[in-house]
Amino acid sequence: MSPPLIQTSELTRRYGAVTSLDALSVVIEPGITGLVGANGAGKSTLAKILLGLVSPSSGSASVMGHDVVQGRAQIRALVGYMPEHDCLPPDMSATEFVAFLARCSGLPATAARERAAEVLRHVGLFEERYRPMGGYSTGMAQRVKLAQALVHDPRILILDEPTNGLDPAGRDEMLALVARTGHEFGISVLVSSHLLGELERICERIVLIEQGRLRRVASVGSLTEATGTLVVELDRDAATLQHFAQLLSARGLTARLERHHVLVEVPAGDVPAGDVPAHDGTVPTGHHAPAEYAVYDAVRDVALSMDAGILRLERRRGQLAELFHGQ
Amino acid sequence: MANESGMTAAQAGGGAEASVIHDLGYRRYEGARDGARGAFHALTWQGIRTLLGIGRPLKAKAVPVCVAVVTMLPALASLAAAGASGGQMPVRYGALVAPQLLMFVLMAAAQAPELFSRDVQHRVLPLLFTRDLTRDRYVAARWLALFTVMFAIALAPLLLLYLGEIGIAKDPAATFANMRGKIGPVLLLATCTGWVLASVSALLSSLTARRAYATAATLALFLVSAAVVSGLEKVAGLPEGLAAVLQPIEGYRTLALQLFGETSRAMELTPPPAVWIYLASYGGIGALAIAGLVWRVRRLSV
Repeated sequence: MSPPLIQTSELTRRYGAVTSLDALSVVIEPGITGLVGANGAGKSTLAKILLGLVSPSSGSASVMGHDVVQGRAQIRALVGYMPEHDCLPPDMSATEFVAFLARCSGLPATAARERAAEVLRHVGLFEERYRPMGGYSTGMAQRVKLAQALVHDPRILILDEPTNGLDPAGRDEMLALVARTGHEFGISVLVSSHLLGELERICERIVLIEQGRLRRVASVGSLTEATGTLVVELDRDAATLQHFAQLLSARGLTARLERHHVLVEVPAGDVPAGDVPAHDGTVPTGHHAPAEYAVYDAVRDVALSMDAGILRLERRRGQLAELFHGQ
Repeated sequence: MANESGMTAAQAGGGAEASVIHDLGYRRYEGARDGARGAFHALTWQGIRTLLGIGRPLKAKAVPVCVAVVTMLPALASLAAAGASGGQMPVRYGALVAPQLLMFVLMAAAQAPELFSRDVQHRVLPLLFTRDLTRDRYVAARWLALFTVMFAIALAPLLLLYLGEIGIAKDPAATFANMRGKIGPVLLLATCTGWVLASVSALLSSLTARRAYATAATLALFLVSAAVVSGLEKVAGLPEGLAAVLQPIEGYRTLALQLFGETSRAMELTPPPAVWIYLASYGGIGALAIAGLVWRVRRLSV
């Protein structure tokens, strides 16, 4: 049997009086794993111990069967690391920097240049990669950070808060990139974030740590399938949204206002389309459609009746968060 | 105000639009890996390029180019004078290179932080230490880069004099044969300069992430050390000979003159300590600084 991807046993790290990791024992299997915890929960410390940057105070950890203290040299070739903080020298270009780091991972000069160009293209950096990195936007900088972690073709990526500082669109792109890296290239990913919501979109498993202790390990797929919540955002004020939610409720849907959007529950499975009446009062009859479609139709019709524009209409899987909070 | 934020939003929007991720696939790397040796080589070479400003903006080239030009001009002038006078004015290596010490110190003070302070400031160390580089190997590679550059900078004017002297001679072949004894001191003095300056400036740079502080600290140490040494001599009873060695400007000058068999009035009045005392002292200073550097980098939290 091959050793687990990552295994820690009673792993503890203290910084003076502060205990950053407290007897953490966890086994992480291949695939995309999310590491969730508040700031200061010990996510970065765990990443640094796995990388051999920090030594454990007590306990042990291994990466693909190599101990993090004794097997540091073997682990280095297997792991790519994207730190949370800025790490790009402003007067170097991305090509130069990534190729340099590839060489620091032992790749010969020509191969390093080729790999650098390839991974930079892969993360979506084109002409910009020849410019000094000092002028990069946060989104571009995050891409370069991901590229340098990938350049030596690691088996595991350890990504510390990869979406930090990105706008919503940048966040989505970064998450999509991480998901693709994990699913299509067979590279296992340990990605940390303090936002559970964004991790459950791409991860197969979530490890929740709190104050250095393991709180829970949960598989995402089994928990959030089938049911869901629809997030609707309109180009109107809160009062109008409240009215919008009431109209939807009047149609037999479960709708409630949350901050600047309305959440509409989508029932599981197929229902007769006729169960949700159209806004003119007529009840269409006949064929059955997935419940989801009927809800979409209702939302569209109600918005139309109020002459409001829909800014966002999106399925949200909010189950996991509730599960964790319910503990 | 409103206008400004509007601008920023528009720029941010443009940036996001321009950077769409395209699906271009990913290929495994199955090729050769040079491991630790390749990594060491890469880090050293990148260090040398950084120090000399190769492949970097014009601003980064200013200090190395200025120092090289300023230290080599007197050598050229001296050669011209010697050539014009038909050998009446002998080329004096020690007397010529000793005053250039300040330029060498300037070079070390300005450029050492480019490696040691900047790596900390830009936080690239975690990226290096998770690759085929241990902390000790990182220090070795960075120090070697700095030493190589400082050695080359200190060697340049001396080598120019040496080659020039052969070049301007009426009988170059005979002069070359006569000058065999001079290449040793040329290399020794350059090595000595590089050893002390690289090690001390590296240690001071590794103590701070701020480039300006590191430069100021190196220059200050050089400038105040003369006062400190004479203070130690009077108060703590530092032997007079050792004090003479540790005075940076006078010590360096006396060593340079002695190595090339030249002399000055001060040296004729009070005979200076033997050359080996200089070499041992400078060797010791460099070694201490390197030990401090290794200790410091091992303790850096990343």
